[in-house]
Amino acid sequence: MDIGLLIQILVWGLYAGCIYILLAIGLNLIFGVMKVVNFAHGELLMLGAYATFWIYTYSHIDPYLVIPLAMLLMGVLGVFIERLGFRPIMGTGKLNEIFLSLGLIYLLQNLVALLWSTDTRSIRSPYSNVLVPMGSIRLPLDYLIIIIFTIVSLIAFQLFMKRTTPGRAMRATSQNREAAALMGINVERMDMLSFALGSAFAAAAGSLWVISGQMATPYMGAIPAIKAFAVIIIGGLGSIPGAIVAGLTLGIAENIVPLLMNSLAGLLGFDMSFTAWKDTIAFFILIIVLVIRPTGIFGEKGE
Amino acid sequence: MNLKAWLGVSSLVLAFLIPVISGINTYLLTVLILMLVFIMYSSAWNLLALSGQGSLGHAAFFGIGGYVSAIIAKSLGLPPLATILVGGLFAAFIGALIGLTCVRLREWFLAMVTFGFAVIAHTITAELSWLTGGWDGLPAKKIFPVSIPNYLMYEYYLMLLLTVVVVVVIWMIMKSRIGLAFEAIRENELEAKVMGINVTKYKLMAFTVSAFFTGVAGALQIHHFGYITPEVYAIDLSFLPIIYCISGGLFTIEGPILGTILITLLDEGLRHIGLTYGRLIFIGLILILVVIFLPKGFVSVPAKIKSRLRSHP
Repeated sequence: MDIGLLIQILVWGLYAGCIYILLAIGLNLIFGVMKVVNFAHGELLMLGAYATFWIYTYSHIDPYLVIPLAMLLMGVLGVFIERLGFRPIMGTGKLNEIFLSLGLIYLLQNLVALLWSTDTRSIRSPYSNVLVPMGSIRLPLDYLIIIIFTIVSLIAFQLFMKRTTPGRAMRATSQNREAAALMGINVERMDMLSFALGSAFAAAAGSLWVISGQMATPYMGAIPAIKAFAVIIIGGLGSIPGAIVAGLTLGIAENIVPLLMNSLAGLLGFDMSFTAWKDTIAFFILIIVLVIRPTGIFGEKGE
Repeated sequence: MNLKAWLGVSSLVLAFLIPVISGINTYLLTVLILMLVFIMYSSAWNLLALSGQGSLGHAAFFGIGGYVSAIIAKSLGLPPLATILVGGLFAAFIGALIGLTCVRLREWFLAMVTFGFAVIAHTITAELSWLTGGWDGLPAKKIFPVSIPNYLMYEYYLMLLLTVVVVVVIWMIMKSRIGLAFEAIRENELEAKVMGINVTKYKLMAFTVSAFFTGVAGALQIHHFGYITPEVYAIDLSFLPIIYCISGGLFTIEGPILGTILITLLDEGLRHIGLTYGRLIFIGLILILVVIFLPKGFVSVPAKIKSRLRSHP
């Protein structure tokens, strides 16, 4: 395997990893504050992608400028989902959250299919022809923008959580809800804020996904979201560094493992292709990690 | 006999009489046969949920049961009725293995592992094309040869008989000390352990038994269709029993039955008036509303009405 190809795969992995990280950060934030898991998180990614697609198709402004708008829209939708869906069932058992998310998945996927059909939609980024030379290879500018966007938004998020009052209030709520409420923090508002932020991150992931040339369909959200969920389990629920490490590892492993397996099979003389196994790698890693450590790598013992 | 038993017996009599009343209506019988398959499937999923383990990937066992049965029936030339049992047993074996990785996991983690397992089973099946026919799938023997006149009616009665057997067996498990242990584990695992319940043993047992009946249901479905493709592992097929159980009433024996019947009828009805996506939106909405406003499902409606009437005379 030559080094150029290896770098190419690494960049592919980084790019996929960024999408997983953006999704995982949102899931982690919502879990941290509310202790609920929204399995329908991927549908917010899907709606974000569609929002970007439609706004870009009708306005033709730079697609990267559409991202904040898509994030805002999904943030508002996230608040509605929290208010109308997850708030009423808080504290009624964890299975109910899974069931409610299932209902949301059905509702949102089919609503989009009904409104805009199941045709695949894609847009051409104005920068899709721009390649940035990096040493011996040339990388698409879109991928670099996505990687930089993710890094910048992670830093901004970290600053928000550490330096601002609402950020501190959210961290307090996630550490101890009752104590935070006693200290005068409006924990219900923190729930809404966490859902809004988490959904906005999912929308950003969806926008970047569609801008970078991926197809938008009503069903595009399910697999990335479930992988993002695997990412936060592998990294440990609630751990931001864990999510970053696990997200990047997964993105790279998904792209490199099938290739390694292919060349291994070739060396041993088998005629087999492992390309179709890409989507299963997340779950193999998940199962192996959970068998060894049922709380995830960075997870705390209690939660 | 109480009201519930009366309702059960009369609906069974009705189910027995349907082909007599309607004649041999192919469409109706097909809908009813699939309904019976899903009653078995949902009841099996419900049994696992009773022990506090909510699986998001039961289609894996459904598909494994179907594929094993189809492959054995084809390669050994055995009648489907024998291979269905083998399919169920193999699904139970795999279920025990998956259960073993799941016993220490909490709800969301278990949901993820089971979901992932269905994705893995899907890929393995599609890739092992020399055995499974890959994406093209495999033909499966019909339970009764199509050449027999009215074979669909015989199939219906066989399914009805098997469904009754499966539901009664699951009901007996739920009523027994095993069922009580499942519920104790679901309510509070630590307390159950303190009371001397072997949590690992019972969780594994729930997984194995549930996977067995799911595998049987899967095998029955594909021998009814006469064909199996990797589509049997589709996400929808994992979600359907969950929807049926929740809307009918979780952790009860009649919930999955009622839920399957009502939602299937609703689904067929909406499909008939031409709502392709609309019906799924509707079902998603029902699921959300039931989870929020009717957490015990449709089976709790009579009790709710009764208490409402009592409080407002």
